[in-house]
Amino acid sequence: MIEFMFALAIGMLFGIGVFQLLRRDLIKAAIGFAILFSAINLFFVAVSAFEGEYAPFVSNVEAGRQTSDPLIQALILTAIVVSFGSFSLVLGLVNIISLRYGTVDSNAVNNLKH
Amino acid sequence: MGENIFVLGTLVAPLAGAVVALLFAKNNHAQRLVGLISSIVAWIFSTRVLLQVHQKGVQTYELGNWPPPYGIVLVADSLGGLFAFMVTTIMIGGMLYTLHSHDRCMTYPAFVPLFLLMEVGLVGAMLTGDLFTLFVFMELMVLASVSLTAISDDQFGLEAALKYILISSMGTLFLLLGIAAMYAALGTLNMADMARILLTGERPFLAPASALMLLCAFLLKSAVFPFHFWQPDFHTTAPTPVSAMLSSIVVKVGVYGIIRLVTLLFIVEAPLLQRWLALLGIIGVIFGSLGALRTYNAKRMLAYSTFAQIGFILVGIGWGNTLAMIGAIVYAFNHAFIKSSLLMLMGVVASYTKVKTANFASIVGIGHKLPPLAGWLVLVGGLSLAGVPPLNGFISKLALIRGGVAQQDWVNLILLVSAGILTLIYMVRAWQQIFQRAPIPETTPTKEAGDSLLAPMLLISICLILGIVLAEPLLQLVTETVREIGDPNTYISAVRLRLEGP
Repeated sequence: MIEFMFALAIGMLFGIGVFQLLRRDLIKAAIGFAILFSAINLFFVAVSAFEGEYAPFVSNVEAGRQTSDPLIQALILTAIVVSFGSFSLVLGLVNIISLRYGTVDSNAVNNLKH
Repeated sequence: MGENIFVLGTLVAPLAGAVVALLFAKNNHAQRLVGLISSIVAWIFSTRVLLQVHQKGVQTYELGNWPPPYGIVLVADSLGGLFAFMVTTIMIGGMLYTLHSHDRCMTYPAFVPLFLLMEVGLVGAMLTGDLFTLFVFMELMVLASVSLTAISDDQFGLEAALKYILISSMGTLFLLLGIAAMYAALGTLNMADMARILLTGERPFLAPASALMLLCAFLLKSAVFPFHFWQPDFHTTAPTPVSAMLSSIVVKVGVYGIIRLVTLLFIVEAPLLQRWLALLGIIGVIFGSLGALRTYNAKRMLAYSTFAQIGFILVGIGWGNTLAMIGAIVYAFNHAFIKSSLLMLMGVVASYTKVKTANFASIVGIGHKLPPLAGWLVLVGGLSLAGVPPLNGFISKLALIRGGVAQQDWVNLILLVSAGILTLIYMVRAWQQIFQRAPIPETTPTKEAGDSLLAPMLLISICLILGIVLAEPLLQLVTETVREIGDPNTYISAVRLRLEGP
């Protein structure tokens, strides 16, 4: 049951994220980008969080209990750092665009179209 | 023990250079010198790694002494070593150009550190043996190149940077999704371990899906047909040395990843993937050449040309026989030198105009202001790109065509050769416009001094050497490389997986 809920949540987050990313408003697009990254992180959790019942300590492993996967948490942590870096860079670029063009409407930011 | 510290050194030298360059934030000239020195150090390390790989076999370095597959391992096999060598060599050219350039963006304290971080990302992506670390390095490279383009002197740089980061992050997401799917299916992130499990014949449900997602991510990074639309804008508006790097070595990360996918990880799915690669490649060849023919800006012409040349490489990978793989890798290696030198030359040409533009309308006849050497360099580079003997472009085209003949794919061969003739047309036309036509004084406000020709001269002379002296050794080197990557067991056994734990 919980796996189905996870799949549903990931799918919804992915849908909302893609929808936001395609908005005309660049700030909304940037936030859609952050939502998409949360969807991926949730996918990482769903991949292997439900296998064990105990925290992955050495004592639990030695006692023969089935522990959850510790690697996935390190991966998500790294993915969060990377996505936070790109998200802040996107927001910085949008900020400079809003100062230079006076708008964040992506239809108005079209100087590249020759 | 395969503890080769030089594999790590190739990565750490530019990283240390970036940190030291930040310390010299007030002194711009010192920053550029630090950048040059650290890229030369990285080049020395990567040369040593390449030599050792060919003398003793695959070199590895286990980070923090954690045994693979649990720890992260850096692997320099003959493919990764060759690509890392190419990256560090061209990076020296980029730093040399930066040393003598007058662009305003290069006086910003962040320029040199970001440039070196881009090199770290590139070298790291090519030397890592861990799929997740590959993602981290690729993202580092994307963030650095986006920042570098956003601070470009070109006013459209910002817009192109935003466009690229939004598109590229979709690619990154799919890369991450593919990695997560691989982890879910196989329970490991080490590429050698994945290859070992996949070689046993086990086909988890998610493996083909993740092959497709990884392939899409790599295709996006190297700007192949359905994912190419950001590339001409992004490569045109970047500062000259950055655009030379983007168009020559950054797109090769995707090529490297694709070669890894079809030769190491997904050997069973490879024929299907390769059929698609050949199709997408040939579309890129045709539309890239036609786009380059009708564009209005010299740098943009070269960006479209990159789109076409990546198509040539993908067709080579798509054919997939030994000769075609040799052709594809030689092509990737030679194209990096030709394209980076040509883009730097166009940057030099643009630096002689008041507004620093490479629009053909503004640079007609500007060649009379430049040193006479510049015209010869552009001509040699253009002929090399088109594949005229005895230059290195000819060697790579010849190697690729031999692969096509072996595959007996005559339709694609004819298309490739005719695209080569188109290349000759647009390069010679650009040369004539810049260096042969009489200047139009009222439309081209020019300056008396511009950027130095040193860096493109160095790269063009490497092109000449690669075409005349080193053509045979390079072919032999790549033949050995293809023989080695043809057998994934070499890579797997070199990593020395210790599955039972310490």
